[in-house]
Amino acid sequence: MSVAIVGASGFVGLRIAEQFLAESRDIRPLVRSASSLAVLARTKADWRICDFLSESTLSSAMEGCTACVHAAIGDANQIVEMATAAYRACAAANVPRLIWLSSASVHGLSPDPDTDETSLIHDRHPFPYNNAKVRAEWQLERLERDGKVEVIRLRPSIVYGPRSRWVADVAEDLLNGRAAWINDGRATCNAIYVDNLIEAIRLSLSVSEAAGQCFLLGDSESVTWREFCLPIAFSLGFTEKDFQSISPERSVFPREKTFSSFSVSKPYRSIAALLPDRAKRIVKGLAQSWRVPAIPLNPWRTDNTVKVGISAELASLQQCEWRLSFSKANRILGYSPQVSFRDGMRRSVQWLKFAGYPSTSTQSAPS
Amino acid sequence: MSRQDDTRVILLGCGAVVRQFYVPALQELEKLRSAKLVAFFDPLEEAREFVASRFGTAEPFSSVEDVLKVKADLVIIASPPGFHRAQAEAAFDQSLHVLCEKPMAGSSGDCETMINAALKSSRVLAVGHYKRFFPSHQLIANLIHQQTFGVLEAIEIQEGGKFLWPATESFFRKEQTPGGVLLDLGVHVFDLLLWWLGEPEHFTYQDDAGEGVEANACLIASYSRGPSVSVRLSRDWRTLNTYAFRFENALVHLRVNQANRVEVSLNGIPMTIAGELRERMRTEYPIESRALSTNPQAFVAQCLDVIDSIRNCRPPLVSGHDGWKAVKWIEACYERRTPLPMLWMERTQVR
Repeated sequence: MSVAIVGASGFVGLRIAEQFLAESRDIRPLVRSASSLAVLARTKADWRICDFLSESTLSSAMEGCTACVHAAIGDANQIVEMATAAYRACAAANVPRLIWLSSASVHGLSPDPDTDETSLIHDRHPFPYNNAKVRAEWQLERLERDGKVEVIRLRPSIVYGPRSRWVADVAEDLLNGRAAWINDGRATCNAIYVDNLIEAIRLSLSVSEAAGQCFLLGDSESVTWREFCLPIAFSLGFTEKDFQSISPERSVFPREKTFSSFSVSKPYRSIAALLPDRAKRIVKGLAQSWRVPAIPLNPWRTDNTVKVGISAELASLQQCEWRLSFSKANRILGYSPQVSFRDGMRRSVQWLKFAGYPSTSTQSAPS
Repeated sequence: MSRQDDTRVILLGCGAVVRQFYVPALQELEKLRSAKLVAFFDPLEEAREFVASRFGTAEPFSSVEDVLKVKADLVIIASPPGFHRAQAEAAFDQSLHVLCEKPMAGSSGDCETMINAALKSSRVLAVGHYKRFFPSHQLIANLIHQQTFGVLEAIEIQEGGKFLWPATESFFRKEQTPGGVLLDLGVHVFDLLLWWLGEPEHFTYQDDAGEGVEANACLIASYSRGPSVSVRLSRDWRTLNTYAFRFENALVHLRVNQANRVEVSLNGIPMTIAGELRERMRTEYPIESRALSTNPQAFVAQCLDVIDSIRNCRPPLVSGHDGWKAVKWIEACYERRTPLPMLWMERTQVR
């Protein structure tokens, strides 16, 4: 049973490849470009380089596989197009099962109480990424009506672990003196350790009742953002005093998000189709610098301190009050997290040290 | 038509390093009337087209044998390392001088063959360790040997980050490129260490390769009555990209690829001096002096050094022997390799 892994150079895809190779599973890692092989090339995997938006190149790369796990990331446009291409490629290559890594953010970054898999999802979220994930799920639901490929949609939220941005960003914000959290980090963090997500993927490959279903996923423990961030801080020699508590109103909307909104607009998409890549990069650069307020240089200004801010996306996540339940995954897939939060965070901190962050210990909490 | 004093150049290989470095450098050398590209080779038409679009008068070839028949003075070998030895031998057979891109070859045995071929034909063999031409690295060489800040006690090097080089797949196939980040980034670092300090007395080496090529590598080296050295290289995750030199009386920091910048923290002084390296100021009339070479300018300086060594029958700053020493040290690292501990992998082993 050979499993194609689309996006095998990313945080989740690479970990799937590492785990499956360690279990002697037959895998086919797929990456977008040769440069993406840098870490994967430590192994002797049978990789392929292909365009994730092209049904024909994807289907030939997946030839002979019995399942496909889609872990690739992309911008809002690409997410929906990748879903379409992946489904059609699976159908063309007779790959009977597609595990689509969706996101709990289809319910919003701060989901309403009682949210579960039966809750209706919509594409009116403030963030293009969330809407794209919703539209990709809808597209897959439409496509799977032809009965050619069984689709399983997995909805993890904050996937953390070695090489995760959720871990590295906290470390870098602390080291750069700009760490902050909303309301002392008291909100719920719907975290899942990457290996637990992979356990759900493993089950999704074999449980026949999973076909056509979606599953919310998480760790066993309920943790707050404070509990999530502090082990990382302690490992670097920081404490909770190094986080500035800010109100949601002080969050910022990064310019790259502005471009994301712009890039999915109909007028831009119709023009972009005619533009060469170089021109698109210029447009992106212009869009990102657009509306940057010109700050007049004031030679008398004495405040050189780092401005602390938090992205609008993170601010929204850090106002979450609802712990998403994985009871459906437990009931149908038999999913049960194999790695505890404490252990997952301990491993994440071990990785920080490996990656060269100035860790003072591998403890996940002060003794 | 080539001007009489131009060094006529043949380029072997038209891949990423040529697009990013040699094309702009050769364009500048043409403006300086130092060199002129007369012919180039690559098996891929697409790669040849790129160079052809920049050098209208240079002749494209799809065969090494044919391109070396063109009348020229210098061959720049910028093909994958596995081809370096054979292409250098072919160039020396035609009595051409050679500038070989790093790493000099896939093995130290191949390097030795190349050195012998250069000696036999009495031609220059230079190796593209262009980072020796960084003013900041030359400053470090001076500080070490003149002990301006006292004795050098330690060097800590962190270099690398997410891999963004527009490489081809062959870059990651062990059969075609025998090493990973150590061979790629490490060969520059090793050349600099050998230049500054000579060969280490002891060293240990760890990396994370399974059956493929490493993405992370760590070296610890020590020198008899010299500094301790630690090197961390990665094409996996961003590093600080810093070279730190702890002298008896000062800490000096260089940032990777910033060829003419330096940060100095003198012991006992509660501030850091950060600035650009410039030509030495005239003491009698201290007007602002000129900035020293940037990274691209250092690359051009390397080419000019090779051209000058050909014209004046002198050895180049980085000779074949220097290239051989760096490759030999890398080979020794791979021979003594132990696995880099990845504790979070627990029972998972990279296969």
